[in-house]
Amino acid sequence: MAEESSAAAAAGEGRMTMVVGVDESEHSYYALQWTLRHFFAGGGGQPQYRLAVVNAKPTAASAVGLAGPGAADVLPFVEADLKKSSMRVIDKAKELCAQVSDALFEVIEGDARNVLCEAVERHQAEMLVVGSHGYGAIKRAVLGSVSDYCSHHAHCTVMIVKKPKHKH
Amino acid sequence: MKVLVAVDDSPGSHHALAWVLDHLFFPASAAGDEQQPQPRPDHELVLVHAVEPLHHVMFPVGPGSAVYGATSMMEAVRAAQAETARNVVGRARLVCERQGVTTAKTVVVVGEAREALCRAADDAGADLLVVGSRGLGAIKRAFLGSVSDYCAHRASCPIMVVKPPPDEEGHDGQRTSSY
Repeated sequence: MAEESSAAAAAGEGRMTMVVGVDESEHSYYALQWTLRHFFAGGGGQPQYRLAVVNAKPTAASAVGLAGPGAADVLPFVEADLKKSSMRVIDKAKELCAQVSDALFEVIEGDARNVLCEAVERHQAEMLVVGSHGYGAIKRAVLGSVSDYCSHHAHCTVMIVKKPKHKH
Repeated sequence: MKVLVAVDDSPGSHHALAWVLDHLFFPASAAGDEQQPQPRPDHELVLVHAVEPLHHVMFPVGPGSAVYGATSMMEAVRAAQAETARNVVGRARLVCERQGVTTAKTVVVVGEAREALCRAADDAGADLLVVGSRGLGAIKRAFLGSVSDYCAHRASCPIMVVKPPPDEEGHDGQRTSSY
C-alpha cells in the first residue's frame, strides 16, 4: 500500500516521522507553527523529519447527536459542512507548511482520539504533536481531552504544545 | 531550541534522555555513518533533577523563616541527598557526552518533582520540557499521581512525554517496566 511503502521509505532514510493533529482551533494551528519553527526551520535542503498533518473529521451522525425524527434530513447538510470545514483546515495547514516539500496531509473520518493514534501506527511515526485547549480539570472530565487521551494511548512520544497564557 | 530533560534514576527517564539525544540531536543519522555524527548546534540541552525536600525532620523555630533540624543528622542527610543528586545528573551527563553532546547543563531543583520541573522550565525559559513516563494505567495514575500528567497541564512550555519502549515480554522474560 502507498502509505506502508512511504513509511518504509522514510524508515530506510533514517528520518523520524512526526504526525501533527490539526483541527479548526487556534491552539492546533499554534502547535503546527511551533513544530515548524523548531523542527523544520532550516531553509533549503531536505527537512530532517517527515511531517504528516492529520485532521480528524467527525462523522455527521456524531456531530448531530440525538437521532430523532428529522435527523436524517439534516445529515447531508451537516456532512457537507464538516467536509468544508476539514478542507479549510487542511488548506490553512498547507499554507503554513509551505516550506516542507514532502509533507503529507490527511483527513480521516472518526473520533480525533482514535484517528490520531491510528495515524501514528500507520505512518510508524515516532512522535505525535497535538495542541491543547488548556481546559481545567473539570472541563477535561466533561468535554474529554484529545491531548490527554493521546498522551496515554499513543504508542510513541507525544508532544503537547500549548498556547502560552499571558501571565502577569 | 532549549530542551529541558527531567532525569531521575528510573528506566523511563533514561529512555527519555536516549530518545531525545537520538531524535532531536542526531535527527538524520544514516545507517553506516562511519564518523561520529555532529549534534545539531542549535539545540541546547539542560538536565534537570528534582530532589524532595526533607519535610519531616525540619521544624520552624520562632517567627520568621528560620528552620532548624536536628543539626548534624540533618546535615548528614542533606549531604547524602546532594551526593545522590549529583550522581544522577552526573550519570545523565555522561550519557550525553558519550553520544557526543558535550554542552549539556545540569540543574538540581528542590521540591516536589512535578512542581519543581514546571518551575525549572519556567525559570530556564525552556522551549520544551521532556519527561519519561512509567506507563501506568489510569487507576494507578489516579492513586500514585503522575508527574508527566501534571506537567502536561501546568508547564508553561510545550511538553514531550516519551513512552517506555514496548515490553519485550516473553513468557519467561523479565518485565522491564514497573507496574
